[in-house]
Amino acid sequence: MGKLGRTDIFEAVFWLLIAIIFFAFSFNFNQPIEIYKFGATGWPRVILFLMALVALGNFYQAYSKGSTAQEGRVGAKENDEPIEYTSTGQYIKTGMILILPLLYGLSLKPVGFYSGTPIFIALIMIAWGERRIRFILTNTILIYAILIGLFMLVLNAPLPQGNMSPFYDISAFMLKTKTQLDQLF
Amino acid sequence: MIENFLAGSATLFGDPFTIGIFIFGVLGGMLFGAIPGVSMLTLAAILLPFTADLSPAQGVMLFAVIYCTGTYGGAITAILFNIPGAPENAPTAFDGYPMTQKGMAGKAVGAAVLCSAIGGVASALVMMSATEPLAQWAIMNIGPPEIFALVFFGLAVASSVGGRTIWKGWLSVLLGLLIATIGQDPVGGINRFNFGYSDLAAGIAFVPAILGFFAVSEIFIQAEKNVSGKYSAPKFNVDFPSFFELWAHKIAVVRSIFVGFFCGILPGIGATLAAFMGYGEAVRWSKDKNEFGTGKLEGVISSETANNAATGAAMIPLLALGLPGGALTAMMVAVFQMHDLEPGPLVFYNSPELIWIVFAAMFYANLSILFVGLIETKTILYLLKIPFQFLAPMILMLASIGAYISRGLVLDVIVMFIAGIIGFLLRRSGYSIPGIVLGLILGKIGEQNFAQGMQMVHYDLGTYFSRPICTILIVAGVLTLLKSLHSAFFQKTKIS
Repeated sequence: MGKLGRTDIFEAVFWLLIAIIFFAFSFNFNQPIEIYKFGATGWPRVILFLMALVALGNFYQAYSKGSTAQEGRVGAKENDEPIEYTSTGQYIKTGMILILPLLYGLSLKPVGFYSGTPIFIALIMIAWGERRIRFILTNTILIYAILIGLFMLVLNAPLPQGNMSPFYDISAFMLKTKTQLDQLF
Repeated sequence: MIENFLAGSATLFGDPFTIGIFIFGVLGGMLFGAIPGVSMLTLAAILLPFTADLSPAQGVMLFAVIYCTGTYGGAITAILFNIPGAPENAPTAFDGYPMTQKGMAGKAVGAAVLCSAIGGVASALVMMSATEPLAQWAIMNIGPPEIFALVFFGLAVASSVGGRTIWKGWLSVLLGLLIATIGQDPVGGINRFNFGYSDLAAGIAFVPAILGFFAVSEIFIQAEKNVSGKYSAPKFNVDFPSFFELWAHKIAVVRSIFVGFFCGILPGIGATLAAFMGYGEAVRWSKDKNEFGTGKLEGVISSETANNAATGAAMIPLLALGLPGGALTAMMVAVFQMHDLEPGPLVFYNSPELIWIVFAAMFYANLSILFVGLIETKTILYLLKIPFQFLAPMILMLASIGAYISRGLVLDVIVMFIAGIIGFLLRRSGYSIPGIVLGLILGKIGEQNFAQGMQMVHYDLGTYFSRPICTILIVAGVLTLLKSLHSAFFQKTKIS
């Protein structure tokens, strides 16, 4: 196995899978373009071919020299203090940290910014280990107020309103209040 | 040149409304650059629709000012939180953040203020004298084959920075190039890799990708440390560097100005490559190479001088060739188009007053970094006193809004968080986040110009080599790749 680690094998499989999957999907748009000989697939397929080739090179490097940094690489750093996972709880916590923001992003279309944001802020603080209820409540309100003040009132930025009741109604109420405030001043 | 500069200055300061826009740009760029999670790009995206009500000169000037001050502002978040405000601030974090951890944030930020101003002013002066002759020369000599060759060279150099090995550097760039192919192809408009989502037809935007790969992934890394009990809060300190500390690095400053300006001319990659090369050259010429990355002032000085020196140079491909140098200069193209103008050589003949008001504004904006930046910095440093549990959700929310606002698509927020997760995993494995972002930025430009070039030369690759500029750039790119390949097979590895 040379100096190969489990991560190195996983990395090689990951890059090769990307190359294969995208190559397979490239047949969906494999149509000729009258004015361009290489068509829509030429450029992406060259990238995929190079990716597969370089992934093999990366695998060979790991096999022969291990996964340590090459000398003279500008800006490359070894992890200063790699995190070792010792319990399932740690995996779950990290998983939550990664997944929660994504769920927030997915919920923006139906729930909207105005209703979803305070819940997300509170949840993210809990996921990151905060347990003081007063701290969570105060900071959620404070962050929400700053965001609404800056982006809704000052910059008048359009934010997602949601398309599901009652969230849409809450957004409509917020925007109506803002319009009334604008008229007042 | 001096008469034109004075005329531009007179137009800039002769109208109170234009002065107001200038001051707004200076303060807005610095502030948005210095708030973690949002960047100058967020502010630019919010302001883009409003520029329709401004004159073309005011609109482009506002964006140019934001570009100068925002590039400096991005250094603050890189130094204080390891979150570069823009890709060009990425190398600043290599030494800036360790300095913050050591309680030397004030010194790092102070050096960034001074060196950004010096680099920017020097670059603005060179830009004023070089852009017009270069534009005239470009009309005659630069076509799609040369631009493709330039992109190829830029990508070859980009792959050599950031990743733990050359292979990882290349894979990072290739991933960026692959992401750039998502959306309509630039020749036939055929949808590629949209996986059935109509929103993906417009492709992956720069802003959410940059926010995801840089800001969100950094928050995830810090959060992981927090959960594992390994998070240590940065130390607060407002001691600025002394005159003698900075004077000791005068050679690094001059070197970085040259590196920054010459790299800055490369479209799409300019300021970022400049910052990396400035940092790389500082490492190469230093007697204490091993101290870089551990909190060395010279690292911050080199990178910040070089990236601001590139801001003026990055305007050259935009104004002389009509090629945007990055996300913000791409938005400048949109400002031009909103006013029925096309950036490119003809602007110099059709709207010379626009060019000189922009040049004058960039010069004064870089000067103002020195004065406003020093005052602002002392306030900004207090951000370090805010607890992470408060700051992190705030950054995530600001990043979400920043990603959404640029195109008004929820998909961009989702893309940003996915990019954050990918960035988190890739950073742990030693891949180069700046490499991915550079591939993403240059991918579309490269493909479009390759296709146009091939059509132009009737698919005869040999014709590419009958064009001297094209030949030089392609040969330089190939040599860079071969050198990297040689080092991959024959160089030693570090002992970890």
